[in-house]
Amino acid sequence: METAVNATISALVLSSMYIVVALGFALLLSIMGVLNFAHGAIYMVGGYICYQFAVESGLNQWLSLLLSVIIVGSFGLFLEKFCFRPFLGDMYRTIVMAIAIILILETTVNVLVGVHIRSLPAFVPGILRAGAISLSAERLVTFAIGGVLLLALTWFIRKAKAGQQMLAVAQDVEGAALQGIDIHRISALACVMGCGLAAVAGSLMGAVFELSPFMGNYMLVKAIQLVILSGIGSIGGILVAGLIIGSIDATLPLFTSGAVTQAIGLGIIIVLLLFRPQGLFGREVA
Amino acid sequence: MAERQFSIRGRRKLTRITVYVVLIVILLLLPLFIKSPYLIHIFILTLIYIIAASSLRLIAVSGQLSLGHAAFMSIGAYTAGILGKLLGWTPWVTMPLGALATMAVAVLIGYPMARLRAIYFSMVSLFFGIGVLAINQAFESFTGGYAGLIGIPPLFAGSKVANYYFFLGLTGLSLLILHRFEFCRIGTTIKAVAQSHVVASSVGINESGYRILALAVGCFFAGLAGAGYAHYNLVLSHSTFNFLASVYLLIYVLVGGIGSFAGPVIGTAVLIIIPELFRVLKEFVPYIFAGILLIVIFVMPQGLAGLPEQIRSWVREWRKGKAVTHAS
Repeated sequence: METAVNATISALVLSSMYIVVALGFALLLSIMGVLNFAHGAIYMVGGYICYQFAVESGLNQWLSLLLSVIIVGSFGLFLEKFCFRPFLGDMYRTIVMAIAIILILETTVNVLVGVHIRSLPAFVPGILRAGAISLSAERLVTFAIGGVLLLALTWFIRKAKAGQQMLAVAQDVEGAALQGIDIHRISALACVMGCGLAAVAGSLMGAVFELSPFMGNYMLVKAIQLVILSGIGSIGGILVAGLIIGSIDATLPLFTSGAVTQAIGLGIIIVLLLFRPQGLFGREVA
Repeated sequence: MAERQFSIRGRRKLTRITVYVVLIVILLLLPLFIKSPYLIHIFILTLIYIIAASSLRLIAVSGQLSLGHAAFMSIGAYTAGILGKLLGWTPWVTMPLGALATMAVAVLIGYPMARLRAIYFSMVSLFFGIGVLAINQAFESFTGGYAGLIGIPPLFAGSKVANYYFFLGLTGLSLLILHRFEFCRIGTTIKAVAQSHVVASSVGINESGYRILALAVGCFFAGLAGAGYAHYNLVLSHSTFNFLASVYLLIYVLVGGIGSFAGPVIGTAVLIIIPELFRVLKEFVPYIFAGILLIVIFVMPQGLAGLPEQIRSWVREWRKGKAVTHAS
């Protein structure tokens, strides 16, 4: 019973964090057409900035999380304006750019902090007890934050004006521009939001698991899996894909080794894609 | 006018042939001047990765941007390594077998994957790459897993120079075959499929067949490079063929210039050798690598191979600009 409940909780924690990171990746992909491989590195940097403020400078941990989001978000602004805007529509050059950003971020963290694995202290320490079942409060809070963020984001995209503009740009860039939507402003907004979300996820995951300069690679692969499984251009699909992949990653390690879990998860995705080449909810792209 | 153009073209061809001859002579004489075994080692690695990057470019030319190429290298490498270690077969047999095994795997997965286009192909090839790595690790007792596969028989024991000449020959031969393949009729058809699969299939070209063919030929050479690496390095480690290794191969192609045959050769050589020159900087070396990438994407849209053409156009612009200022 306790194992089952804990597996469910960790499935939810993993799913919500995967979805938060993948949404940022998907926003950039559908709005700017940029395959941002640096998203994992940005997630990692978010975690490390929170660590620097909370542990090295001794600030309040929630304040450090906020600072990390602000700093990484403004980096997103820089990213859109100087790194991706000059190469819009040229996928090859944006890929090279993203790799250059990964190298610079990872090396900087490596030089400044070192390769040793670090960990953020728990945001909410303690264990909740409900009858015979004990749960880590940390994980519940992580899931709650992820859920609230997702709700807020869904509301923003469905109801707010800027969110609707984002959808329009994702559907058809030229059509949106003809309607008087400022494409660059929307791209910048998407970039800032994506980076901010990655920073939140990086900080929370740094507390639940650990921080290492290369933790972004794993998350990047997960984000790509979610986006491709759901299909490019679908936001609701990412939620479903996130729940599928998060459940696989949380439950299968109970039965087999990590490598087999990974192989099975990837096998499922590959087989699904062979039957639906455009993803579960996606549309065909050129 | 036509005659003048012809003479310019003839002169360019002559320059090109001279460059090739000089390059080959330098490469042949290199071990006479460079005595450091470490540098020779770097050159051998560069040669191996040139085969891999060029074969990746062939696949990319067919409209399939593969992000799992290092996994194909690993199939060749582990096939050759395990055959050599467990059965004691000579490298001269295991290397072609490794390449053929890789080709077989490529045909098997290329068949279903021919349905996927553009970015979905790239992503599934990426998942395939990670999956191969995970399978490799799941059979740890067989492949060595993280600890690495050791005890692979060497090609030429102890002699770096012999290895250098062998890989120089192998790379030259592979490049020659890849070049012939790309510019023969099949290669042209493959490029046509990449440009527009609708038009190509409407004139009766078997689209998926040609895409699988490109994947198979490309992966044959990837497997060959991997098998060569196995018998040269003698230790196969898990991390040599991970997701980032695939991305790096793609970066070699893109930085060199995906539009020209020489692109991957130049890109690989520059991106392996130049960071190696700055080895004293230790953990700062990735900055050098990133710097090269940034310079290339901001200054050279066609990649390093497009540099001569671009300099020519800059000079033309500059001359024109000067002529205009003279006239005014």
